[in-house]
Amino acid sequence: MTDPFRTFLLIFRHEGRVLFADRSLWLVTAILAGLIFYALYNGFNATTIRERTITYLRDLQQETQRYTIAQLRRIMEGKELPDPFANPADPAAIGSGMGRHFAVMPVLPLAPLAFGQSDIQPDYYQITYRSKANFMYDTEIENPWNLLTGHFDLCFVIVYVLPLLVFSLSYNLLSAEREHGTLKMLLSQPVDLSTIVAGKLAVRALPVLLCATLLPAMVLLVLRPQLFDIKNLFLLVLFIAEIIAYGLFWFVLALLVNAWGRSSGTNALVLTTSWVFLVLVLPVILNVIVSTIEPVPSRTELAARTRVIAIHTLNRYNDLLSADYRYTTQPEILLPKDGKIDVPIRRKGLFLLQRDQDQELQELLKQFETQLAAQQALVDRFSFLSPAIVVNECLTMLAGSGTRRHLHFRELVDRFHREWKAYFEPRILRGVAIKEADFHSMPAFTWQEQSFSAVVIDALVRLLQILIPTLLMVWLTKRWLFNYRVI
Amino acid sequence: MIRRIAWREFIEFIRDGRLPLVGGLFAVLLVVLLAVGWLQESNLNSERSAAQGMDYNDWLNQKNRHPHDAAHQGMHVFKPIPRLFLIDPGIDPFVGSTIWLRSHRQSEVKFRPAQDLTGLQRFGTLSAAWMLQILGPLFVIVLGFGALSGEREQGTLRQTLSLGVAPQQILWGKALALAGSLALLLLPALLLALTGAGSAIEQDRLDLLIRLILLGVGYALYLGIAIFVTLAVSAVAPSSRISLVLLIGLWIASVIVAPRIAADLSKAWHPNPTGVEFNTRLDNDLEHRYRKVWKEKLGTEKRWGPELPLNRWGEALKVDDHAGYEVTDEHFARLWDAFALQQQSQEWIGLAVPVLAIRGFSMGMAGTDFFHHREFAQAAERQRRLIQDTMSKDLIEHADPLGNQHFSYKAGSSLWASVPPFEYSPPKVGFALRHNKTSLFVLLAGLLTWIGIAHLAMPRSA
Repeated sequence: MTDPFRTFLLIFRHEGRVLFADRSLWLVTAILAGLIFYALYNGFNATTIRERTITYLRDLQQETQRYTIAQLRRIMEGKELPDPFANPADPAAIGSGMGRHFAVMPVLPLAPLAFGQSDIQPDYYQITYRSKANFMYDTEIENPWNLLTGHFDLCFVIVYVLPLLVFSLSYNLLSAEREHGTLKMLLSQPVDLSTIVAGKLAVRALPVLLCATLLPAMVLLVLRPQLFDIKNLFLLVLFIAEIIAYGLFWFVLALLVNAWGRSSGTNALVLTTSWVFLVLVLPVILNVIVSTIEPVPSRTELAARTRVIAIHTLNRYNDLLSADYRYTTQPEILLPKDGKIDVPIRRKGLFLLQRDQDQELQELLKQFETQLAAQQALVDRFSFLSPAIVVNECLTMLAGSGTRRHLHFRELVDRFHREWKAYFEPRILRGVAIKEADFHSMPAFTWQEQSFSAVVIDALVRLLQILIPTLLMVWLTKRWLFNYRVI
Repeated sequence: MIRRIAWREFIEFIRDGRLPLVGGLFAVLLVVLLAVGWLQESNLNSERSAAQGMDYNDWLNQKNRHPHDAAHQGMHVFKPIPRLFLIDPGIDPFVGSTIWLRSHRQSEVKFRPAQDLTGLQRFGTLSAAWMLQILGPLFVIVLGFGALSGEREQGTLRQTLSLGVAPQQILWGKALALAGSLALLLLPALLLALTGAGSAIEQDRLDLLIRLILLGVGYALYLGIAIFVTLAVSAVAPSSRISLVLLIGLWIASVIVAPRIAADLSKAWHPNPTGVEFNTRLDNDLEHRYRKVWKEKLGTEKRWGPELPLNRWGEALKVDDHAGYEVTDEHFARLWDAFALQQQSQEWIGLAVPVLAIRGFSMGMAGTDFFHHREFAQAAERQRRLIQDTMSKDLIEHADPLGNQHFSYKAGSSLWASVPPFEYSPPKVGFALRHNKTSLFVLLAGLLTWIGIAHLAMPRSA
């Protein structure tokens, strides 16, 4: 029996029988499975709602377009007189709310696994030529109390609860054997302490980590067929790898504490303290530090600037705004003639006003995005301090609900907004009527996913950020076990 | 006897280093948090009140223009930060702080601070309340997990009982020691908070003081529950190790896991619509009501159409606005009531999970809960309606003989001055108490229950 692998197997089998008999392994795995199912149920619920909203918006956009085109046809055929506030031939009307054009961020196949920022950052905006101040601040409706609490998603189960279940199985892995006096007996045999420890660890880690990874993966593969393409499957593999690495981190930490050689009670205290520190306290403190180093500009200041700009622009276009308004009594003026249309001067004024407001606010609004991106960069740089942050960031990123992807979306929206304005500006100022064909050629928002390789590299770096401290702890454990005092 | 037991226990806490080390760290962190919070809060508040003043100034000094355009410029109002924000920021990071009051439609309170932060925000907001609610019970557990089980293991419990000391006396002595240690640590923070409150220049010093005292009472009840839970578990656990593991398990289940489940449950019981659903329903109802009211009062279903001469647009604006007010009020009331009901059902769950009750009570007393926010949002909306009504009244009075020149009419500074500045005084402590009766009751009931359970758990003989 000198072959270490055979010893390992023997211990594995024996320890398995013991744990099986005292039912603790079953209990912990069952609790974990229960929590995972509940979290997945929540995740799928939320994802369904988000996807339903997106479908609704898409349908609304198409239906509005169909209706508008039909209306335009009737007007051109002389069957209907245009409405000054909703004239489909008027570029000033189509470019603002009447067009009902939405920019939407799609939901990724892995979305049910982590809510991330999806409940705070919107995943759709209605685009108009108006200043971004009119639509960029919108948020989803959610009870602030529940936002404060956070959601019960898989990410929560993994980041917060998994380590504690790991502790409950292994806080007295070695100390109990010593306290019962069985360790002395064991070591009188020709076995290596490291092999014993490895065997005991494997028995515990295998079912827990299998449960934490296979369950979500299977549920996801069954319920989200869109997952079946190489890229998405690869993301799922990364997700699983991340969970395994994180689980191993805590198992090895438990080992390390055991190797330190104190009593079971002390082990439990030390492990809980490390959890409190790494999972509860450190992220909260890092959040304060990050937002102090890279503060976003004051929103009060933004409001003040918005007001000043609004005043200037209102003054600038006061004459246009107070031009005569004969359109309600003589709607036939609004009929397009030879591709030209008489855009009401007041509406022209409102357009110019919004255009200028947007230009003058652009700089300041940009700063908010820049600062948020700078904060995220800081978080990325210092997340290695706590594996909880690393995993939280990584899982939300893979699920497509992280800060980065939302910033990316806002950038796309910004670009599209400019395109949209550029399309309508000459038409409004020169009075070019909207034709039916224009509806098919006007800019449409197209989503571009973040670069796949960037996501993969990011995930791999984070994987290393967990694996390196884990390996360091393995090394330290081996050293401490070498000097372990059995008595 | 109780005092003697408490004193012995207390000395032990100090000797084995638990109190000075863990507690010292706890107290220092708390004081630092309060100081930082205080600084931030006064900066933010002065910035907001300055902005508010400037905003009104700009409103007054507008050029002559069409009243409806003036309503388009509107006013910005800023939510004042309550003094006790530094103890408990409550839901404030997740609700907006600014409303741009403009024509046509009730606006949301914009700019949630959480929008400007990374995902780390979701781990929690570092504040005194967070420390007391989350880490407070853990601290009690670390001090008290072995209070009775340890004595039994060492055999001292049997000796004490054999001396004729009643189990109740031991229980209360231990509880007193734990409470005393907590008080010792929390005292500096409380003093600091009191000084902060005392130095407040505002006239509501009394209100602030009462709120602070109530906060103290709330946390005393909450930590009291933690003390008796710890002692009860320590009394029945066969060993200190099991007592510790059980208590930590309980702590995690109730402080970390249960609140999220409670949030899901409350949402299932009192569902609230998504943004799209809310807006679609509101739009539909508004459309319906507008048509009805226009038909009744203006004789046409077509809003802003050729049937209505321009010189009646001022009147129409008023009719339109008022029809909108009712519908909007209904919808917002329904949404906000759903939020309130969700919170209330969670406070009832607080009977089993006390952190939910103290959380509601604490933010209520600090003035950072949803009820306070709702008051502000409603006051802001009243101001918006005041602006709207003043503007349309002026338009009616000047119902122009101008024909198509309706938008050429320009009002001047006397009209701007007829809108008073937005003055908002946050609700008083009576308001906060009325909305937090449940959570206070739940905390009290929780404490009494756990005192009872701890009594039952005490060994009659060793």
